[in-house]
Amino acid sequence: MSKLKNKVAVVTGGSSGIGLATAKKFIDEGAYVFITGRRQTELDKALAQLGPNARAIKGDISNLADLDHLYATVKAEKGSLDIIVANAGFVEIKYSPEVTSEHFNKTFDTNAKGTFFTVQKALPLLNNKASIVLVGSCVYLKGFPQYVTYGATKAAIRYFTKAWAAELKDRGIRVNTLSPGAVDTPIVDGQFKTPEEAAQAREMFAQFTPLGRIGQPEELASAALFLASDDSSYVTGVDLVADGGMTQL
Amino acid sequence: MSEKLSNKVAIVTGGSSGIGLSIAKRFAQEGAKVAITGRNQAALDKAVKEIGPNALGIQGDVSVLSDLTRIYKTVGDKLGKVDALIVNAGVYILGPVTSFTEEQFDKVSDINFKGAFFSVQKALPVLRDGASVVLISSTVNGKGFPNHSAYAATKAAVRSLARSFSADLLDRKIRVNTLTPGPTDTPVFSTLTSTAEEAKQMKEAMGNFTPVKRVGSPDEIAAAALYMVSDESAFMLGTELLLDGGLRDL
Repeated sequence: MSKLKNKVAVVTGGSSGIGLATAKKFIDEGAYVFITGRRQTELDKALAQLGPNARAIKGDISNLADLDHLYATVKAEKGSLDIIVANAGFVEIKYSPEVTSEHFNKTFDTNAKGTFFTVQKALPLLNNKASIVLVGSCVYLKGFPQYVTYGATKAAIRYFTKAWAAELKDRGIRVNTLSPGAVDTPIVDGQFKTPEEAAQAREMFAQFTPLGRIGQPEELASAALFLASDDSSYVTGVDLVADGGMTQL
Repeated sequence: MSEKLSNKVAIVTGGSSGIGLSIAKRFAQEGAKVAITGRNQAALDKAVKEIGPNALGIQGDVSVLSDLTRIYKTVGDKLGKVDALIVNAGVYILGPVTSFTEEQFDKVSDINFKGAFFSVQKALPVLRDGASVVLISSTVNGKGFPNHSAYAATKAAVRSLARSFSADLLDRKIRVNTLTPGPTDTPVFSTLTSTAEEAKQMKEAMGNFTPVKRVGSPDEIAAAALYMVSDESAFMLGTELLLDGGLRDL
């Protein structure tokens, strides 16, 4: 397969879950992929799975110096960039009375600010006709208790998409949101104290999903591929929701 | 081509021209057996030749329920169970609310809304469990353009059908989603203008309405339709894929 032949991509949060599955799929389609993540051990594990057409760069998207380092590396090694999948994200569920300033800042610094600067700092490197995919979440379409802050950051991401699509259209750059529903990735585990609780949560998410199951990372990677490739050449400023019907029915 | 649809059977209503024909061609290139429907036999025959040896043309009007029954029975008999249904047949009838006639209203509703509804219902006996149904809506389903009141409402209805149909068909695992194109380079402009020059001007004007300053090509819509009927989109249900150069949401 060669939908992304000779393309250079950055996938943030690429060590696991949707990011890793996306990086794999992009490489299968001929791309060279830079993945980022905060933990070197996870990055190394991911790189071992991805093969020679991948490069791992440690960094936290909420740290602007890390983003500068990422793009300086991309520029030095590849010169320019065709695809960004802004996928790194943080989720900590909290009912509103328990939300602290620290939780709020961490959530917004990663998901909103981090996503913003992930794209902004790439702008000088982006080729015309590049494709930017922002990974949102279907939760912003509804009101889910405990997801007040998380959902708000994903609504911010949806807005970034629209405004960027408008700002970058003259360069032929397309910007779209991919809004997943509940997906079987390690981000679920991170939200709960024990593996049993996480398993119960996965069960509950599946029950909330009309399709009767949660998504697999590969299914979201397919959606990211569609948005990143020329298959979606007339698609810009949209939200592609892949959530098994959770918010759509 | 990659043969993504080898051994699959697809139906495209309104498949003689424009978006429908492009989708049918792309599906055939990907290995599918494709049945197309249309009201005009000559146009159907021409389209079948263009699509290739794996194409079947069946004359019929989606606003006539007995035609739909006959169409689907023919497909079932000749091609077997259906994996992909593209509900695309539609008419583009414009006019201001002040003077829109009952006749115009009935025509645009009967084909675009009622026709879409029954195109799905009547297909159920020949659809495979796990099939993918794609309803073609329009970017104007979320806009207020002059002269588009009835047309846009029928397309908003189609977007809604994807949600409720999906809910009804969960036990059969049939996914129903909407594909929502913006202005696309098809013969539809000729139906509203008298000369080729006027049609060209109308198309350019439509293109200029979009942020990307161009109309879409039917091939672009076909690429999205392929994605929607394949397993790549298995986690999408009841949703809408918008392809409109940014017209509606920016």
